[in-house]
Amino acid sequence: MRPRFVILLVAVTALLAIVPIVGSPVMVQFGISTLLFAVLAQSWNIIGGFTGYPSFGNSVFYGLGVYGTAIAMAKFSLPFGVGLVCGAILAMLCALLIGLPVLRLRGQYFAIATLGLSVAMAAVFSNIEIAGANIGLILPLTRADGMFYELSLGLLVACVLCVFWISRSRFGMGLIAIREDEHAAASMGVNTTLYKTMALVLSALFTSIAGGIHAYFITFVDPASAFDSTLNVRMVIMTVFGGPGTVLGPVVGAFVLSAVYELLANWISTAAALLFGVVIVVAVIFMPRGIADLAAGIRRQGISYLLQNIRRYRL
Amino acid sequence: MLLAQIIVNGVLLGGLYGLMALGMALVWGVLNIVNLAHGAFVMLGGYIVYYLFTTLGIDPLAALPIAMALMFAFGYLLQYVVLNQIIRSAMLNTLLITFGLDVVLTYLAQLGFSADFRTIAPSYAGANFGLLGITVPVAPLAAFAIAWLLAGLTWLLLNRLPLGRAIRATAQNLVAARLYGVNPRRLYAVTFGIGAALAGASGGLYGMISHLSPYVGAPLTAKAFVIAVIGGLHNPFAVVASGLIIGIAESLAALYVGPTYANVISFGLLVLILVLRPSRALRAA
Repeated sequence: MRPRFVILLVAVTALLAIVPIVGSPVMVQFGISTLLFAVLAQSWNIIGGFTGYPSFGNSVFYGLGVYGTAIAMAKFSLPFGVGLVCGAILAMLCALLIGLPVLRLRGQYFAIATLGLSVAMAAVFSNIEIAGANIGLILPLTRADGMFYELSLGLLVACVLCVFWISRSRFGMGLIAIREDEHAAASMGVNTTLYKTMALVLSALFTSIAGGIHAYFITFVDPASAFDSTLNVRMVIMTVFGGPGTVLGPVVGAFVLSAVYELLANWISTAAALLFGVVIVVAVIFMPRGIADLAAGIRRQGISYLLQNIRRYRL
Repeated sequence: MLLAQIIVNGVLLGGLYGLMALGMALVWGVLNIVNLAHGAFVMLGGYIVYYLFTTLGIDPLAALPIAMALMFAFGYLLQYVVLNQIIRSAMLNTLLITFGLDVVLTYLAQLGFSADFRTIAPSYAGANFGLLGITVPVAPLAAFAIAWLLAGLTWLLLNRLPLGRAIRATAQNLVAARLYGVNPRRLYAVTFGIGAALAGASGGLYGMISHLSPYVGAPLTAKAFVIAVIGGLHNPFAVVASGLIIGIAESLAALYVGPTYANVISFGLLVLILVLRPSRALRAA
């Protein structure tokens, strides 16, 4: 990575960090949700983008992060930090337990098995007494949006650094090998079970912390919103939009799509979701490999790459 | 007696679920697209039948073929113009674009048809007859019969007609099929159109048994997906039969453990089947 690019990234991060000081409260709240979405997309990228396993179970990890934090804080009066750790441990244990059987499945079958787990988890949590059953839990109220914002930004930076490390490490090479051809990877000596499970556990770690931060930020949790599978769909969309298997793609995807959705909602509130759908359809047709690939391609061979990109997957 | 009644209800509803899954399984098996907008197609078919019935007074069962023809044209154009552009890219892209289509169709339906619940209610909608002490409702029975009829027609098409042979050949090996003179663009569009037509038929029947709203699509997509996986992608009768399994399981679950668990049961069954017998389920793909 070129030094100029690193400086640019640091400058952007610094700019983002001073938003709570100079920006309006609305901007800070929009920032918190956008940053958390970027974390979710980036963690999905570890299992979905690098390893090639389209997980729809990340909303399970999110929900466990939400509930781990909420139960620790609301039922045992533990501090926020301890709550986050509880949620993260819960989610990582879950990733380990469900990963071993479910990661034996591939492609669409893996997708639907994990989707099934998230549906089942919502039903299970709506029957657990300590989790507030169907009614949900209320967390202690705090008005510290600045703190939540910086926390989310810190988490995003940690997550991006982790993915950067993955992209450069032997571990990451193993994951990409698994994505391209699992049998070949195994025959080259990659311990596929271990690598896949570790990718899922890492993904669960960041996802659950994002869930915990969001739970304390909105101070209310219930099963339907904690295990919402459309949230998982959004993680996938943002990652694929930005560029799966790249370091910055998912973050860019999350920022762009959040901004587009927010602008559309302000501009024409009734048809915002409709246009959001149109944006997704058009984006898939015009940049099937994501923004990151399109940017690299245009830098390499100019605007003709756009046309080539469209033609590539045509029947 | 209650148990027998519940099972009859489950079987009749399950046939309809199977019909929904049939179109999805066909498209998935041949085009390798998991169509997340399939439920939205079902919803559209339902609204077509609803408006043909309420504004033109066409009997819903007679309106079914019209809805199927319209949905075929819609599916054909959609595949030919849009989906063929990206059909060769990664699975995630097709998932994503059909999800986008689902969002678009849902909101267009909300703008065009409003969010009110609608029911297609011909005079015989509530009719039923007793058989050995069990009440058999007429509308679900008709849906059940039509589901098997359409499964049979799909089987005939796939296994006895030249078009079906071309479809199966393309599913097995696109390049070889092309060498034998199949035009894959048109063939894919036709296959997707048939899938949409089957979805449209099931939508009309669904509107008679349950109610329509712009939002019925997503849960039905999930259900159709589960059934398609359990039934495999190549035998229409197996798909409808696995619809029955899900229908019965959901009805029993609603009776014994509470209706909130209906989805858990069908997905739980699916995960169990996938994890315990992955080779069998995977071979079907």
